Amino acid sequence: MRVLLKSPVRSQPRGNTCYNPAIDHVMKSASSKSLLVAVIAIGCTPAPAWQAGPNGFSPEAIQFFESKVRPILATKCQICHNEKTRTSGLSLETRASLLAGGNRGAVVDTNSPAKSVFLTAITQSGDLKMPPTGKLKAEEIADLENWIKIGLPWPEKTAKATRSGADHWSFKPVTRPEPPPASKTAWTRNPIDQFIVRKLAEKNLKPSPEAGRRTLLRRVSLDLTGLPPTLEQMSAFLADTAPDAYERAVDGLLASPHYGERWARHWLDIARYADTDGYTIDAPRDIWKYRDWVINAINRDLPFDQFTIDQMAGDLLPNPTQDQLIATGFHRNTPSNFEGGIDFEQYRVEAVVDRVSTTGAAFLGLTLGCARCHDHKYDPVSQREFYQIYAFLNSVDEVDDEKNRKNFNQPMLELPTPEESARRAAWTAQRDALNAELAAYEKSITGDRDQARTGPAQPSLSGGDPASPAASDSVVRASFSEDPGWKERKANLAALQRRMPKVTSTMVMRELPKPRESYIHLGGDFIRKGAPVSPGVPAFLPPLSESQKADRLGFARWLVDRRNPLTSRVTVNRMWQRYFGKGLVDTENDFGTQGDNPTHPELLDWLASEFMDRAWSQKAIHRLIVTSATYRQSSRNRSDAAAIDPDNRLLARQTRLRLDAEIIRDSALLSSGLLARAVGGPGVYPPIPAGATSVTQVDRVWKTSTGPDRYRRGMYTFFQRSAGHPALIVFDAPDGASAVTRRVRSNTPLQALTTLNDQAFIEFSRTLAERVSKEAGPSPDERMNRLFLLTLGRQPTVEESQRMKRFLSLRLDEFQSDPESAKTLAADVAATGNESGNTAQVAAWASVARVVLNLDEFLTRE
Amino acid sequence: MDLEQRILQLETRRHFFRNCGLGVGKIALGTLMAERLAHTAPAGVSPLAAKKPHFPAKIKSIIYLFMAGGPSQFELFDYKPELQKFDGKPAPDSFLKGKRFAFMDTFTKDVPKMLGTKRAFKQYGQSGAYFSELLPHTAAVADDLVFLRGVSTENFNHGPAKMFTNTGFTRAGRPSMGAWITYGIGSEGMDLPGFVVLQSGPRGPRSGAALWSSGFLPTAYQGVPFRSTGDPILDLSSPNGVSLAHQKDALDAIGDLNRAHLLETGDDEIATRIASYEMAFRMQSSGPELIDLGKESKDTLAMYGAEPGKGSFANNCLLARRLVERGVRFVQLYHSDWDHHGGPTQNLGAPLEQVTREIDQPCAALVRDLKQRGMLDETLVIWSGEFGRTPMGEVREAQVGRNHHIDAYTLWMAGGGTRPGITVGGTDELGFSPAEERIEVHDIHATILHQLGLDHTKLTHKFQGRDFRLTDVGGKILKKLLA
Repeated sequence: MRVLLKSPVRSQPRGNTCYNPAIDHVMKSASSKSLLVAVIAIGCTPAPAWQAGPNGFSPEAIQFFESKVRPILATKCQICHNEKTRTSGLSLETRASLLAGGNRGAVVDTNSPAKSVFLTAITQSGDLKMPPTGKLKAEEIADLENWIKIGLPWPEKTAKATRSGADHWSFKPVTRPEPPPASKTAWTRNPIDQFIVRKLAEKNLKPSPEAGRRTLLRRVSLDLTGLPPTLEQMSAFLADTAPDAYERAVDGLLASPHYGERWARHWLDIARYADTDGYTIDAPRDIWKYRDWVINAINRDLPFDQFTIDQMAGDLLPNPTQDQLIATGFHRNTPSNFEGGIDFEQYRVEAVVDRVSTTGAAFLGLTLGCARCHDHKYDPVSQREFYQIYAFLNSVDEVDDEKNRKNFNQPMLELPTPEESARRAAWTAQRDALNAELAAYEKSITGDRDQARTGPAQPSLSGGDPASPAASDSVVRASFSEDPGWKERKANLAALQRRMPKVTSTMVMRELPKPRESYIHLGGDFIRKGAPVSPGVPAFLPPLSESQKADRLGFARWLVDRRNPLTSRVTVNRMWQRYFGKGLVDTENDFGTQGDNPTHPELLDWLASEFMDRAWSQKAIHRLIVTSATYRQSSRNRSDAAAIDPDNRLLARQTRLRLDAEIIRDSALLSSGLLARAVGGPGVYPPIPAGATSVTQVDRVWKTSTGPDRYRRGMYTFFQRSAGHPALIVFDAPDGASAVTRRVRSNTPLQALTTLNDQAFIEFSRTLAERVSKEAGPSPDERMNRLFLLTLGRQPTVEESQRMKRFLSLRLDEFQSDPESAKTLAADVAATGNESGNTAQVAAWASVARVVLNLDEFLTRE
Repeated sequence: MDLEQRILQLETRRHFFRNCGLGVGKIALGTLMAERLAHTAPAGVSPLAAKKPHFPAKIKSIIYLFMAGGPSQFELFDYKPELQKFDGKPAPDSFLKGKRFAFMDTFTKDVPKMLGTKRAFKQYGQSGAYFSELLPHTAAVADDLVFLRGVSTENFNHGPAKMFTNTGFTRAGRPSMGAWITYGIGSEGMDLPGFVVLQSGPRGPRSGAALWSSGFLPTAYQGVPFRSTGDPILDLSSPNGVSLAHQKDALDAIGDLNRAHLLETGDDEIATRIASYEMAFRMQSSGPELIDLGKESKDTLAMYGAEPGKGSFANNCLLARRLVERGVRFVQLYHSDWDHHGGPTQNLGAPLEQVTREIDQPCAALVRDLKQRGMLDETLVIWSGEFGRTPMGEVREAQVGRNHHIDAYTLWMAGGGTRPGITVGGTDELGFSPAEERIEVHDIHATILHQLGLDHTKLTHKFQGRDFRLTDVGGKILKKLLA
């Protein structure tokens, strides 16, 4: 929006802005400075007209209003200032709403009506000039002045209780529809399928048959754990002919620690997790303990309501556990700016706004951020309500001032390992000893001096006796500072102080003892404070429970209150989306009036109610979905269904999904046998192409991990916001800038270059080839079978095998005639493996493995 | 779908049928042929393929010379005799009251003093534009440049200000200009990314990848950093031990197996992957030739001051020309460091002289070179920082510099349908505030898009419930500067 001041220079920076033409008008005449706060006097100045109330006006006064005032209001004011639009938070539709004022506070000063903002605006004597279309006529102004003077006569009328959109489907309570009994067929396995079959039948479509067993196990393993099945898992599953073999396989996967990793990563996208602080400096920060908390919480199936409460407000729970404190790292994942010369408050506000937006996306599926600068254009969230939610999240004890720059990551929670504790204790003992020595030394000096002076002994400076007078203290200090022995001891102490052993820590939330005051930020600008607000939830949603305090904890509990219509729907919809590519509501981050309607509203509600009925167990919902016949369908495209439902919204088949960035790495690690399965811990540094981190201000050293840490899952790769690992970024891993509820799945040449040429993938290919040669018989057919089983979970077709063998023989020829190349590609594998002495063989098979690792099928969940 | 895309798609299909030896009836033609929403690449077509703009484009490419750190307009372009007179006098109240600056605690602790420049200024060319002694080469092409003065931006900290200049927002996560442009109209270079980032100077730009991010747009549109030495693109070279024939055979094998799988599944994404691998291979072939500056004439190298094999701004300028020659849509060069606050390494003496020396000759050479090759009309060159500097001095360790200033900075453009030799906008006599209409960063965005045939209010993408655009809620086309 344009802010035109008398001087073309903007005196205040603006906040992030969105478009709203109505606001635009207001802002054109808005002052950046003037903020007149009127006081509504109650009984201070006796003024009969004010006390008369809307029904106490004389018929003449009402007549005056109807003939003179109402036409002006209707034609000049209410276009913007009505109950629905409420530009600047102000409605001039009723007497009550006029008196309630707007985002700037009161507009009518009942104490001294002449000073009312309303009048300075219409007389255009201040910075705010109304109406924006041009000044009112002199007699119109006079009428309005008179109207205010006589106490705003106005016949009673109640404002419409609701703003537009409040009757939107997703704002209504979650229902419990019965699965359609008639749709129960031989194909259906659980109620999900009944809902799906009914919709398909309406279009005369039949579901697809179940996918082959190999495909099915690979699919569900990738979806639940982010890893393809091992050969052993696959054989065991194929050999298991019991009718519930699949269900038992699912239970095994849900019990695997890798399940927590996979589903934690989905949540970390939303939590905008990263290992650095973003913006300009992008320094490393300690918060990986939060990442591990998410993994563990999901593995032990912490109910989603508790999962939410712990993250939003674990610190405010009575006697919180250490885990509950770590969980609050959720909202400390906001990017922070610590560039020199900043206004700390500006970026703290930015972080709080991010928390509001992220909370909206994560739990409510609402685009709350739209209401930062003005009322939401589409959903019934006013700007005031945005700042009421903001007020819940505005009182974290974090740095808002240059003076505290060195504490910029506070509050932190120290979580020392036993070794770290020991090191810290040893250090503390050493510091205490040095302190004692210094004190003793000071005493010896002052003792000499005291004797000379025959005065009373001076207290130890390091002890800091509060009784000692400051003046004499500084005199003594000054004399110490010339003493070489004192100086040496002081320097030793300072040097030790700098060597304080670091212990494992993590960023957490901590509430200020006294909450910060919250205001509406006019136009979203943190400098321009409007009316004060207290914490509260939007009026179109159920109120906070009366037994709850209106604080962050109360808000967290409200998010997962059974009466909240959004959280359960949004959460099950997002789970659904991970399995089918799209949610039942396609706009997974917008359940508002601009979002899509659910394709299967009954199914969505059934799942949401089931989720709550099963005590918010995520594992229960996962199991329900992956054991449905709908999930188990083949993903083969069907022309009959495509003709009717080209986007497969009705789910007449499953959908092929390109694997997420981390999972591509993980699959290659698992296939080649390199995967280090350790769960959790600090970020690791797998190999990175040279120069990849030099694209930002500080070219941080990337100390490539050695040993097992070189082969950890992709989700543990240290994530630097300004220069993420290229192999992750190129496959659409999010950059941690804001909550991501669904990743883009792009398909680009740079991805091809990565999996074809990156050294990491060459290492995988080479190791995979070595593994194949170890595990399979010597014939090319045996090896080719093994290679396909290890990577794609199936054997090659005859055509595929022939094609690959043609490629193999070309490579063998080439490498036999070019041993140098063979040696380079085979690297040390040839020297140590059982193919030693036959580098051409190793290099040729590494080349074949490389081809397979680049197949679309390898990169895709079928 | 325009013709070019159509041909590409058919080409892919033909290849596919020929190699697989199958009849049309065997696959689900419906899905292969299905066209998708605008800006979603149809099967088998690169998302970067050229797309039709909203209206005919006037230009093809942008070269954006980003002077990272905020160059001082007072030492380079803005001749202010009045400011000289007030040199050493305390800044007037109106410059400070209600204003916010970077380093507020130290900068306004004592009233900062006005600072006249120590640099000599002269007028050049027909236009009579002023240049300081620090930019003799750029001054020589004065009549090809158009100046924008009194430009204002949003934020006085480097990281957020850089993001604002590039993405129209001060926080990370939004698409950058180059991403919006390639999203809107693709790129002409079939063998190269559409949006390339080059970098020189002592350090990378603050905020890093957020500056060329594709934000919520597909990653295909994100800027690809080219390195000035070694492989220009990460992983562009085949691995050691893999010959060209090997690489080609491998790609053929991958392609054949992928095609068979496409037949089996009927999934368009496989067709797109096949196309991606084919383009990757073309990039591999064209990359080395592209960065080989040894192919340039001695005269050209001398004009830029470029030396093959060296990482420098001069080399990057020459590389930028080679990139746009090959159809790359948007090339952005970052050169650091222009953050002259004062102090021993950041003052307006030797440190400023060094950085101006590094950029002056190559900038002028780029304009000249494009012009003599007839490319300047279709290439818009922009020289700009993230903000300018204050007319007040800032003293650090007794050495003077200037603080960040967001209300009135100066940038220049050349070519790309601008009116050479003119100045748009201006500042007051002390260079503190715009004297005429405001020129805002979103206006520059709107104007750039306009020249490329894009309506900045229509180039939108829905994200978090809202149609976002590069110009957020602002942006007016700066018609005055266009020919």
